[in-house]
Amino acid sequence: MKIQVLTLFTLSILFSACIKDVKPWEKETLAKRTMKENGMNPLEKKFQEHIYFSKEASRGGSGISGGGCGCN
Amino acid sequence: MQLRLSLAAATLISSLALNAEDYVRVQYLQYDETLNKTSVSAPSIMINKDFGTDYTLNANLVFDSVSGASETYYDGASGASAFSRGIGVKAKDIKYANVTYSDQRSAGGVSLTTRFSNRDELVLGTNYSAEHDFYSNDISAEYMHWLDSSKNSSLSLGLSYQVNEVLVRCEENSACDGESGASEEMSADVFNLQASYFQNIDSRSYAKISLFYIKDSGYLSNPYLNVVRNYVANANADVVAELRPDSRSAYGAMLKYVNALSGSLSLHLSYRYYQDDWEIDSHTLDSDMFYEFRNDWIFKVGLRYYTQSEANFYSGEKDYFSDEVYASSDFRLSNFDAITYKSNIDYTISQKLSINIGANYYEQSRGVAATYFTTGFRYNF
Repeated sequence: MKIQVLTLFTLSILFSACIKDVKPWEKETLAKRTMKENGMNPLEKKFQEHIYFSKEASRGGSGISGGGCGCN
Repeated sequence: MQLRLSLAAATLISSLALNAEDYVRVQYLQYDETLNKTSVSAPSIMINKDFGTDYTLNANLVFDSVSGASETYYDGASGASAFSRGIGVKAKDIKYANVTYSDQRSAGGVSLTTRFSNRDELVLGTNYSAEHDFYSNDISAEYMHWLDSSKNSSLSLGLSYQVNEVLVRCEENSACDGESGASEEMSADVFNLQASYFQNIDSRSYAKISLFYIKDSGYLSNPYLNVVRNYVANANADVVAELRPDSRSAYGAMLKYVNALSGSLSLHLSYRYYQDDWEIDSHTLDSDMFYEFRNDWIFKVGLRYYTQSEANFYSGEKDYFSDEVYASSDFRLSNFDAITYKSNIDYTISQKLSINIGANYYEQSRGVAATYFTTGFRYNF
């Protein structure tokens, strides 16, 4: 447990050292549609999540909304 | 000074117009498993409309048409039903095979995003889903708070509550005649909580970490799946409904990293860890790469790897279960790996219209394999 906490702490320090203050006028690349967190096509993403949900035993992490299904 | 203010206002208005997300998206999915196990045809539509800069309304509808077969044990000599059960069934009559089924599902959802003066966001949503033997409704709320004035980091907290109703063939309830096809209504609830931290790392990359907790309560068994108990070779056995615990607590973490490798190439990477009190744990590694060509073509390729351990009440063997309380032979609760190969092409015809087509292949280590194709368009209005 101590090792895990120490690793997490070290990674957090390294991660925070990499962070830059990005100004609004520097966000052109971040705003591109290929950079969107859920990809370019939310319906395609929904299809994929639905397939994984019906074929696998785990879920979660992609958001809290989504609707149920009798497929599992 | 006045000129500078006018320029700033003009810039703001034009950027808002550019960022307006008013569109209709239509998408079609065709999913086919090998050996004709399951086929799904699913047309869907999504509408997204901004009302000024403070409100966004999103609505979606999908209609699934599913046909195929479920693998399960059944009494092959009964003939009463493809999912036939029985006590003292002759061992030689117990079959494990694909039992055919077909179903249709309609599902939809609506969400409203509200942005406050500090640009924090509140998203309220609701979803429904209906099949002939399954109904589901949920409500959700998510609040996102910016942590800095440059809007490079944020914290989000979301929760949802889902109510599911399942129609189950009567077997235990004497007031309900299962042989006549009567069924009784069972319920299951799902509570989902997720907290996320988002951070722009630099002008070309960002990361997000999410922690989630999911609690299922109620009827969590699959009403169509059976298990074999008390099997004695060359003698008899019982073919009965599977039974899963009536609660399940799961938690995990998702880490996502997105980087623009160059002006035309971007990489999405994610890792998810999942664990629940059925002793299932899983690891998911997902990656997508986008390549922009001439501003109107976008090519995507992706690879996903998934691995899970089996539930503590799972066995695929017919001579395993005797008097255990919980028992399931559903292969989705077994130990397996899966891999998905993804590809997609998006072509922008005009400022208003773009079309897309995708081809994907999914394969599990225990033999299930599927191809699925997607195609659709987006119309900006």
